[in-house]
Amino acid sequence: MPSSDRPMIRLEGLRKVFFTDEMETHALSGIHLEIDSGDYVSISGPSGCGKSTLLAILGLLDSPTEGDYWLNGHPVAELSPIERARIRNREVGFIFQSFNLIGDLTVFENVELPLIYRGLPREERKRNAREALDRVDLSHRATNRPAQLSGGQQQRVAVARALAGRPSILLADEPTGNLDSVNGEAVMELLDDLHKEGATICIVTHDARYARHADRVINLFDGQVVEEIPKAAAAAN
Amino acid sequence: MDNFLQDLRYGARALIKNPGFASVAVIALALGIGANTAIFSVVNAVLLRPLPYQNPDQLVMVWETSLARGLERNPASPVNYADWREQKQIFDHIAGWWYPQINLTDDYGEPERVRTIDVTDEFFSVFGVQPLLGRTFLQGEDRRDAEPVVVLSYNLWQRRFGGDASIVGKAIRLDGTPYSVIGIMPAGFSFPEDIEVWRPLGWDPTQHSRNARFFDVVARLKPDVTIERAQAEMTALARRFEKEYPQSNTDWGVTLVGLHDQIVGRVRPALLVLLGAVGFVLLIACANVANLLLVRAGAREKEVAIRMALGAGRFRLIRQFLTESVLLAMLGGALGLALAFLGGRLLMAINPIDIPRADEAGIDLRILGFTLAVSLLTGLIFGIVPALQFSRPDLNSTLKEGGRESRAGSSGRRIRSALVVSEIALALMLLVGAGLLLKSFFRLQGVNPGLNPANVLTLNLQLPFSNYSDWRQVSNFYAQLTDRIEALPGVTSADVTGFLPLESGWRLRFAIPDRPPTPPGEELVAQYHQVSPGYFRTLGIRLLAGRELTDHETADSPGVVIINEAMARRYFPDEDPVGKRLTSSVRSIGPLARYLPATIEYEIVGIAGNVKNDGLGRAVEEAIYFSHRQFPYRSMSLVIRTNASPLSLLGAVRDEIWAMDKALPVSDVKTMEELLADSMAESRFSTLLLGLFAALALVLASVGIYGVLSYSVAQRKHEIGIRMALGAGQGDILKMVVGQGLVLVAIGLVTGAAAAFGVTRLIRTLLYEVSATDTETFVIVSLLLGAVATLASYIPARRATKVDPMVALRCE
Repeated sequence: MPSSDRPMIRLEGLRKVFFTDEMETHALSGIHLEIDSGDYVSISGPSGCGKSTLLAILGLLDSPTEGDYWLNGHPVAELSPIERARIRNREVGFIFQSFNLIGDLTVFENVELPLIYRGLPREERKRNAREALDRVDLSHRATNRPAQLSGGQQQRVAVARALAGRPSILLADEPTGNLDSVNGEAVMELLDDLHKEGATICIVTHDARYARHADRVINLFDGQVVEEIPKAAAAAN
Repeated sequence: MDNFLQDLRYGARALIKNPGFASVAVIALALGIGANTAIFSVVNAVLLRPLPYQNPDQLVMVWETSLARGLERNPASPVNYADWREQKQIFDHIAGWWYPQINLTDDYGEPERVRTIDVTDEFFSVFGVQPLLGRTFLQGEDRRDAEPVVVLSYNLWQRRFGGDASIVGKAIRLDGTPYSVIGIMPAGFSFPEDIEVWRPLGWDPTQHSRNARFFDVVARLKPDVTIERAQAEMTALARRFEKEYPQSNTDWGVTLVGLHDQIVGRVRPALLVLLGAVGFVLLIACANVANLLLVRAGAREKEVAIRMALGAGRFRLIRQFLTESVLLAMLGGALGLALAFLGGRLLMAINPIDIPRADEAGIDLRILGFTLAVSLLTGLIFGIVPALQFSRPDLNSTLKEGGRESRAGSSGRRIRSALVVSEIALALMLLVGAGLLLKSFFRLQGVNPGLNPANVLTLNLQLPFSNYSDWRQVSNFYAQLTDRIEALPGVTSADVTGFLPLESGWRLRFAIPDRPPTPPGEELVAQYHQVSPGYFRTLGIRLLAGRELTDHETADSPGVVIINEAMARRYFPDEDPVGKRLTSSVRSIGPLARYLPATIEYEIVGIAGNVKNDGLGRAVEEAIYFSHRQFPYRSMSLVIRTNASPLSLLGAVRDEIWAMDKALPVSDVKTMEELLADSMAESRFSTLLLGLFAALALVLASVGIYGVLSYSVAQRKHEIGIRMALGAGQGDILKMVVGQGLVLVAIGLVTGAAAAFGVTRLIRTLLYEVSATDTETFVIVSLLLGAVATLASYIPARRATKVDPMVALRCE
């Protein structure tokens, strides 16, 4: 549960090392980060700087090699896969660069999917999914398959799916990476609106135009936070 | 040709490059093709290959038939045979024989029982088979006053006389009487079954009773006479005989059965069922390999697109795909042939039911042709679907996709699923068949034979007429012998019987005095057994009423009999049979009985519990037990109850026999438990084989569903990653994959059950007290298959839960 007197996310001394046959790759080292409820954070940096790894750890898709991670005050760095799946389902909403919708399911079923995994009653599930689709103005495409939608529409479906479970935080990994500028801008506006409504958002992007939408811009380089810029300064830059 | 060789080279290279795929496919095909070849080699030898006689289609067995008495193929009366012999417009040759039991004594070895038939003079002319050495019988040589001569089988000649050609012209002693050996038959001729000595009949068939039917008859039809025409003429003749000899021929017809059908008819249904079963196994193997090919072809889609982009036509690509699949099938066929050879030898080695002609089974040109044809056909069957599907890719998208993932999404999935459904359905049909046979076997095993088979030794003795022509001498011999054996340590009791349980005793007519005489054709008939007084106690047969036979009943005292429960119920349903009387004439049975009075009245002194006298799976026939002292027989079986292992006493028993007559061969030594087991051998054999093929089908079908789900999991790795990112737990993923498998299994089970419902009718004749649509079997087998298939689904499902969402999503 979010708490007003402590950060929603707190990372301390986080390290992530990938071990391959003959070498160690330090993807993240010594990361300290706090994200409060209602924050809009952008993580930026060049390719290979560790942005996506950091987002994956934030979303409990991956675990750190060292360091601590508190989500809503609870340590989550060393949970079992079952616990991680449960927290991911309840607390995190993912938006991916390539939308990651399931082609065999309809738009509505895609949005409903995380609620099924949560075990919500059917009626509640349907209501939440409908509301989420309404929120992204795609109720009229509920019965379509993802392949019948444009890229922008597909990403809006992905946003609806992330919203449907009413998570603590939305994590977006290059959400505009596969979109043209018009659709990219539309998606970013949608995230802005969600933020204004109180959502906590953490976005990974290497595009400075989109990074500026966030309140805080965190720059990573070689797996380390090299700079944190508040919104005003980012806008000025 | 050049293109074909190029395809072949390319196919071989592709297989070598994928040794895992190639080995799995070749092994699956080898199992399928091997099983088919093995069974077909038996079918070929038994059912397809013509009999090794001149114009075998003209050979027929001639039986007497009385449907009113439930007798379809009954031996003939020798007198009727003598009349048939005159039908020169139908038969070129016709011969009859019967089975005496003969002991062979000579200077070459121990006395032994030899399988002998006494035949009429035309016997060898019927088959048109020439002897290897010497000659066969001349016309008239079967008369009573002819010189005593015999013809020996090749096997006896080799086994007993070491292939000594000078035996022709020498004498051997049969039952003490010298007979000149006049000929040796070639190897392979032992008609009717494993005969070692053919002896001329030595009596005039016309001088017998028309009522006594014990003569087997074989005939060669004239070249222009069909079996239908011969049947019609013989039926007309039987009608005429009914009028002319109403006392003996009322309700007796004649049935002609082709000799081939006669010999192999009994095993035809079981062999055809097995052939069908292995066909199913091959289809399942095909479905498996087709699935593997679909998966592999999916991975080669980009390669196909590049080939087409470079100008390859669709036909050219189909041909290349088919060349590869036929190459695989040929490799499977070669390995299958080796398996069939080994399997066939194993099958023949354990041939417990004595399949007729099975020893002729082997690999010949027809089998090689069969294997080649099956391999070719198999290659085409499993190769055509992938060939057709992947020879028309969407070039643009396939080339653009960069080969990351197969394009053949839903249609490929549908075909693979359909193949798995077919595998499950076919496997279910086989399993249901095996399950029904197994249940039937257990039912048979659970049948109460009506006696206690534990610790009982049985063996047979034949007292030669030359030394034992006096009937009192015969009964005294057996009485003394059983006394001596009973005195042996380890023996609880010893008795004799004319026919052992399950041995289908002979039948005789009887009458019940004080009841109206039965009209011709409705005479009362029952099986007869001659037993010593303690027989029922020795075998643990219950005595339901009255008393046992005693030692006081002799040839000179009033006749007494015990009847079985079936006879009591049928002929004395509302009265107590004990004390009632019946009359019978046993004078026509065997040479000893001719000294008995024409008709004897017997008092029924007891009722014995039913003993299965025609086989475990058949209803108990009415039976009369005579005292062996009042109805003597030279050939008797000893039944010896022991308190130790029965066979361990054989030596001591044999010593007692030889102490009384050292020239007596002891034959047919078996425990009663072995006799019971032998009577179930056929059921056990077909159950074992069908069970084996069903198990093979189960394994192949499980591998099939495992393969499809494994592939599906590999293909859906990304999707599974998404689901996990959205919060799906391991349980959710497990449920999803197993659920996908279960849907296929459920459709397969329903389809298979519906098909099995129709197909199992074909094995109805092989079942005992089990319906071909037995619900319990259908349910249990479906559950078993469902459970195994679920397990097969579980393994890839477990693998799916191990998908690392990070890795899966990073692939994006």
